[in-house]
Amino acid sequence: MEINWLKVLGILITPVIAFIVGVTYGGLTRIITARIQNRFGPPVTQNFWDIVKLYSKKTNIQHGVMQHLAPVFAITASITTLYFVPVIRESTVFTNLSFQGDLIFLLYIMVFGSLGMALGVGQSGNPNGAIGVSRGLSQMVGYEIPFVLAIVAIMIQFKTTNLNDLIAMQNNFNHWIIFQSPFAFLAAILAFLGMMGYAPFDVVVAPAEIASGPPSEFGGKYLGLMMTSRSIFTFAKLTLFTDIFLGGAGDFVTLVIKTFALYMIPVLTGIVNPRFRTEQSIRFFWAWPTVFGILAVLIVVW
Amino acid sequence: MFSISGIFITTFVSGLVAFLLHHSVPKIRDWFSIVIMGVIVYAVWELPVKANLLSFKLANYNLVFGNTEYGRLFALIVAVLGFFAILYSKDFMEGKPRLGYFYMAFFFSIGGMFGIVYSQDLISLFFFWEIMTWSSFLLVIYCCKEAQKIGLKYFVFSAIGAYSIMTAMVVLYSSIGSLQFADVFAGFGKMDFWSQLLVVVLLLMGFGVKSATMPLHVWAPGAYRITPSSFTAIFSGALSKMGIFGIGLTLFKIASATGFYPWVQEILAWIGALTALFATFYAVFATDAKTLLAYSSIGQLGYIVTGLAIGTPLSIAAALFLTVMHAIFKGMLFLATGAVYYRTGTTDMTKVSGLIRKMPYTFLTALFGIITVSGVPPLAGFSGKWMLYESLIQSNHYFLVVVIFFSSTAAFLYLYRYIFSLFLGQEEKETENVKEVPWLMRIPMLLLALATLVFGVAPGLLLHPVSAAMKYLGDFGVTYQTSVLFNEWGNKVDMLTVANTIGVVFIIVTIIITIKGYRSTRYVTTKDIHTSGEVPTENENLTYAVDFYKPFERALGSVLKASVDKIYNATGRILEQSFDYLRYVYTGNGQTYAMYVVLFLTILVVFSELIFGIKL
Repeated sequence: MEINWLKVLGILITPVIAFIVGVTYGGLTRIITARIQNRFGPPVTQNFWDIVKLYSKKTNIQHGVMQHLAPVFAITASITTLYFVPVIRESTVFTNLSFQGDLIFLLYIMVFGSLGMALGVGQSGNPNGAIGVSRGLSQMVGYEIPFVLAIVAIMIQFKTTNLNDLIAMQNNFNHWIIFQSPFAFLAAILAFLGMMGYAPFDVVVAPAEIASGPPSEFGGKYLGLMMTSRSIFTFAKLTLFTDIFLGGAGDFVTLVIKTFALYMIPVLTGIVNPRFRTEQSIRFFWAWPTVFGILAVLIVVW
Repeated sequence: MFSISGIFITTFVSGLVAFLLHHSVPKIRDWFSIVIMGVIVYAVWELPVKANLLSFKLANYNLVFGNTEYGRLFALIVAVLGFFAILYSKDFMEGKPRLGYFYMAFFFSIGGMFGIVYSQDLISLFFFWEIMTWSSFLLVIYCCKEAQKIGLKYFVFSAIGAYSIMTAMVVLYSSIGSLQFADVFAGFGKMDFWSQLLVVVLLLMGFGVKSATMPLHVWAPGAYRITPSSFTAIFSGALSKMGIFGIGLTLFKIASATGFYPWVQEILAWIGALTALFATFYAVFATDAKTLLAYSSIGQLGYIVTGLAIGTPLSIAAALFLTVMHAIFKGMLFLATGAVYYRTGTTDMTKVSGLIRKMPYTFLTALFGIITVSGVPPLAGFSGKWMLYESLIQSNHYFLVVVIFFSSTAAFLYLYRYIFSLFLGQEEKETENVKEVPWLMRIPMLLLALATLVFGVAPGLLLHPVSAAMKYLGDFGVTYQTSVLFNEWGNKVDMLTVANTIGVVFIIVTIIITIKGYRSTRYVTTKDIHTSGEVPTENENLTYAVDFYKPFERALGSVLKASVDKIYNATGRILEQSFDYLRYVYTGNGQTYAMYVVLFLTILVVFSELIFGIKL
C-alpha cells in the first residue's frame, strides 16, 4: 500500500495546531473577561504555562484505573473528533480522515470523552463530582434535541451526511448554510452554548455550589491532560460549526477569524450572565431552541 | 447429519433428564446440561437451510418444520445465549432450591423457542409459543413471595397475546383453509379488508406482548426483575426476540400484501419510538438495577420495532443487527448484574457501590455493555444505531429520528447511573470482603464483551447473516463491506479506521500518562477526597445514590406521571367492583336461591302474555 506522506503530516501536526489555537483562545478569553470586569487579566500565554506547570508536578494521586484512564478517554475523543472534521477545505494535508466518517458518527464520538470522564469522576468517589456528572448528562439531554433537529434539517436539505459534501455546496458566500437555513443555525448555536458550558449553562462545574464538581479530584498530570484535551476539543467543535454553517475555511487566517467569531458567542454570553439551575437550563433548551429546530425542519420539508 | 427432530428431542428430553438427574445424581446435572447445550449450539449451526425438513400429519393438519435464513438467525441467538446462560448457571444457581425444576423449565423454554423459529405453519408456531410461555412462566414464579402477583400479571398478558394469535389463526383458517406459511402468505392478499385488518392487528398484538411493546409492556419490569439472572439474560436477550420474529413475519409476509400497509408501518414505527422514549424515562428513575435493565430492554426493543416498521432495506438491516446486538449486550448486562447479586445479595442501586476494584472483570463487562447500549463507537452498538438513524432520515421520518435520538441520548443517563451506582462511587465497609465471581461465570460475560468489540470493528461479519435473513423477508438488499457501512445517499463510515484511530491514540496517551511520573503517582482511597476543607468523619455517608436525576425529574415535570399501569389497574378495579355486585346475587345461601326461583316463576306468570302469548 502506498503511503501518502502529506496525509501522515496532517495526522501529526493537526492536533498540535489545534492545541496551540485552543490554548491561545483560552488565554484571550481570560483577558477579555478581565477587561469587561475592569481588570487587566493574565498574559495570553498564561494557559500554556499553566499546562506546562501541571505536567511538571512532582506528586500525583489517583483513585484507581478508571480515574487514571479518564483523561485519556477525553483526549482520545478530542483528537479523534478533530481527525474526522475537515480543517481546511480541499486540502490534502488537513482533511485528515473526514472522508471515512460522517456527521452522525461525529455526534457519537463527541460523547466518548464525556463518558470516559464521567466514569473516572465516578471512581474518585467525590459526591460533588457525581452530582456534576448527573447535571451534565441531564443538560446534554436538553441541548441534544435542538442540535439534532438542526443537523437533521441540514442533512435532509442537502441530502448528504458527509461534511466534505456540505462544504463543497457552500462554495460561495451566499451559499453558506447560516443564510440558507437560518433557523437551523439559531437552534444549533443555542445548543452550542450548552455544549461549551459557559454561563448561564455552567451547571456542571458550578464552582460556588459543588466546588467545581467533576474536575475536582484531578490534579497534576491528569488536570494537565484534561486542559490539553479541552483546548483541542474546543478547536474541533468550532471547526465543526464553521464547516457546517460558515462554509469551512480555505486557509488558516479565514479559519481563525471564523472560529474566533463563533467562539465569542458563548464567551460573551457567559460573562454577562448568572447561572441557571439545572432544570431551568434543560427547559430553556426545550423551549425556543427546539421551536427553531422544528421550524428549520418544517421549512425544508415544504 | 443433524436433523430438526434431533434438536427438538435432545432439548426436551434433556430437560426431563436434568430433572431426573437432580433427584438421582445431582453432581453431574450441571455438566450434563452444559455439554448438551454445547451440542445443541453445534447442531443449530450445522443444520442445513431448507424450507421443509420435517413434516407430518396430526389430526388432519400438516405440521411442517424447516430452517430458513431468517429463522436460523434467531435460532443462533437462542442457542448461543442459552449456552452462555447455562454455563453461567452452574455457579450462579449453586445451592438454590429446586434446581431440577429450574433446568427443566430452562430447557423447555429453549426448546419452545427453537420450535417457534423452525415452524413453517401457524399451528406448530402456536403450540411451541405456548410451551415457551408456560416454561418461562414457571421460571418467573421460581423465586419469592412477590412472584405470585408478578407471575399473574405475566400470565394474564401472555394469555391475551396467545388468544390474539389464536383468533387470528381462526380468521385465517376460515378464509384460506390452510395454516401453512406458504399458503397463508400467498392467500392473504385475496382476503377482504376487515378480516385482513383484524388479522394484522391481532397478530401484532400477540407478538407485541412478548416484545414488550407499549402499551403491552407492563408485565416485563416485574418479570425480568424476579427471574434468576441467568435466565433473565435469556428472557430479555432471546425470549423477547420471539416477538420481534413474529412482528417481522407479520409485517413483511402478511401485512405487506394489504392496501393499508403504509398505515400499519407509520403507526407501528411511532409506537416503537414512543415505547423507546417512555421506557427510557422510566429506566432513568428506576432504583433497582434489574428493573432499570428491564425498562432499557423495553426501550431497545422499541428501536427494533421502529426499524422493522420503516421497512427500507437499511432500516431492516439496522433492526436485525440491533436484534442480535441486543441479545449480546443485554445478556452481558444481566449476567453482570447477576454477578453483583451473587456476591452482594442485592441489585438495589442505592445499597451497593464501589465494586470496581473488587470485581474488575464484571466491571469490564458492564463497561463494554453500557458503551454498546449507548451506541458510542467503536463498539458494535454504534453500527446498529447509525444504520437506524440514516435509514430514518433517508425515508423522510424527520421527527421520528429526533424522538429516537432523544431517547438514545437520555439512555446515557440510566446507563451511567447503572455503572456508577454498582461499580463506582464510594467503597463501603459492607462490601469489603466481596470477591470476583468464579471463572465459569466470568467466561460467558467476557466472551460476550469480546463479541461487541469484534462486531464493532467488523460489522460486516454480522451483516452477512442479517442480509441473508432479509432475503427471506422480501427483496431487500443492503450494501456493506466487512468494516464499512453505507447509507442510501452513498455516505459511509469506516469502522476499521475509527477503531484504529481510537485504539492508537488511546494506547499512546495511556503509555505516556502511565510512564510520566510513574513513581510519584500514588493511589489514595475514596475517602481521601477534596471536600473543600472539611474532613469527613469515619462513618459519614459520601455516596450519591438516591434521587440521582432529581433536576431531570423536575425538568420533565408531569410527563412522568402518565402510566399505562394505572389505566390497567383502573380497568381492573372497575371490573372487580362490578364483580363485587355480582356477589350480592350469588350469596351462597340456599334460601336466597330458592327465592330467585320463586321470583323467576312469578315473573313468568305475570308477564306470560308478553313472553309466551298466552294468558293464564
